[in-house]
Amino acid sequence: MKDAGFIFGSYIVTLGAILMFAVSTLRRAKKSAQSVTDKDKTWL
Amino acid sequence: MSQVSQETSPTGTRATQAIGVLALAVMAWVVASGLLLTPQDVVQGESVRIMYVHVPSAWIAYLAFVFTAVASAGWLISKKHSMGFDRFAGASAEVGVMFMAITLITGSLWGRLTWGEFWQWDPRLTTTAFLFVTYIGYLAVRRLEGSVEQRARRSAVVALLAVLEIPLVHFSVVLWRSLHQGATVLNPNGDVKMDDLMLFTLFSGVVGFTLVFIWLVLHRQRTMLLVDVADNQGLDLAIVARRAEGPAN
Amino acid sequence: MELTPRPIEPAKKPRKWLPIILLTLVGLGGVVIVTQFLRSAIDYYCNVDEIGVRSGCEETTRLRVQGTVEQNSLQKIGSNTSFVMTFNNKSINVVYSGDPGGIFQECISVVAHGRMIDGTFESNRIEVKHSNEYAEKNADRIESSGSAACSQAQG
Repeated sequence: MKDAGFIFGSYIVTLGAILMFAVSTLRRAKKSAQSVTDKDKTWL
Repeated sequence: MSQVSQETSPTGTRATQAIGVLALAVMAWVVASGLLLTPQDVVQGESVRIMYVHVPSAWIAYLAFVFTAVASAGWLISKKHSMGFDRFAGASAEVGVMFMAITLITGSLWGRLTWGEFWQWDPRLTTTAFLFVTYIGYLAVRRLEGSVEQRARRSAVVALLAVLEIPLVHFSVVLWRSLHQGATVLNPNGDVKMDDLMLFTLFSGVVGFTLVFIWLVLHRQRTMLLVDVADNQGLDLAIVARRAEGPAN
Repeated sequence: MELTPRPIEPAKKPRKWLPIILLTLVGLGGVVIVTQFLRSAIDYYCNVDEIGVRSGCEETTRLRVQGTVEQNSLQKIGSNTSFVMTFNNKSINVVYSGDPGGIFQECISVVAHGRMIDGTFESNRIEVKHSNEYAEKNADRIESSGSAACSQAQG
């Protein structure tokens, strides 16, 4: 594929950014949830 | 919404799990179709494949910023000033900034292949950069000192002003002479000039990115609630600990 | 029971400098972007037919000129590329110092950066301004027409 570096690069940047954002959110949630009771988790 | 294993994700529910699985499936299709199945463009050749991630990420960034403004207006208008509105606004802005960053990076890669330049100060690129910087400013405002109410009030005002930039960004290619091409799908005459599989893949991208946006915002705003509760509990625990010290002395 | 009040230490609440620094940087970034925008973005280019006619498109200054590369006008002269650029039935000869590369071809819209010298536009930078139309690459059509962009423009 011509210009594969640019094309694959754009997909890697996109998926990588989403993945990093998701992982950091879930990690932060897990850390904060340790001291929070289920009563405060209004979505449960 | 029923509970999923709190071990794996304290902010997850069956609904977010379903949205997540669906988002993964649609995104897998977009990647496969965008990279392998869709044809080359008659003029741009292979570089057109960047469009399937660049355009949806721009649209979802707009959507995120509009959602931030709506939630901010909700906070300002509602009598109870529910902090849920504020958390949704903040979460949506964070996700929007991420999608805007993706738009700028993928756009500059695409620009290098088509225009021959990574960046030019043309109307579309300049207004997009300005929008990106504005929302980084919005996120900075949210981290200023003060109570959660002060945070909500300040950021809601900024969000309602910042969202006015979006029409300027979108119509910049019509209002001024731009190097960036005009809108293909959202053009004023409604005549979409794109091959069927290309168009279907582009719309799949919009659907996939929207699902990702919903999943991220739900998790992010719940995480924000957990952080707020944990912060308050930290204060409560400190007070209890201080009181407990009294009789011991 | 010891009831002597504890010595009160002054509360040291660390000031949050990061958001303030970030806001300052955002403000500065905004100013830079707006000044760049006002300087060059509103009139990113002059069309071919506006050279020497429209304000800001004077022949004596460095210009960005937009037009379409005329069919059958593209020539390689040594290391230079020469072509005719047209807009609104007005044409100019362009000599570019190098090979534009990329998707540059006949019948495509381009923005050339350079100066008018003795009736020829001498350019040292070419940007391709692709359209908002997307169509499947068709080998037969390209071969018969000689240029992909021309075949797309002709439908």
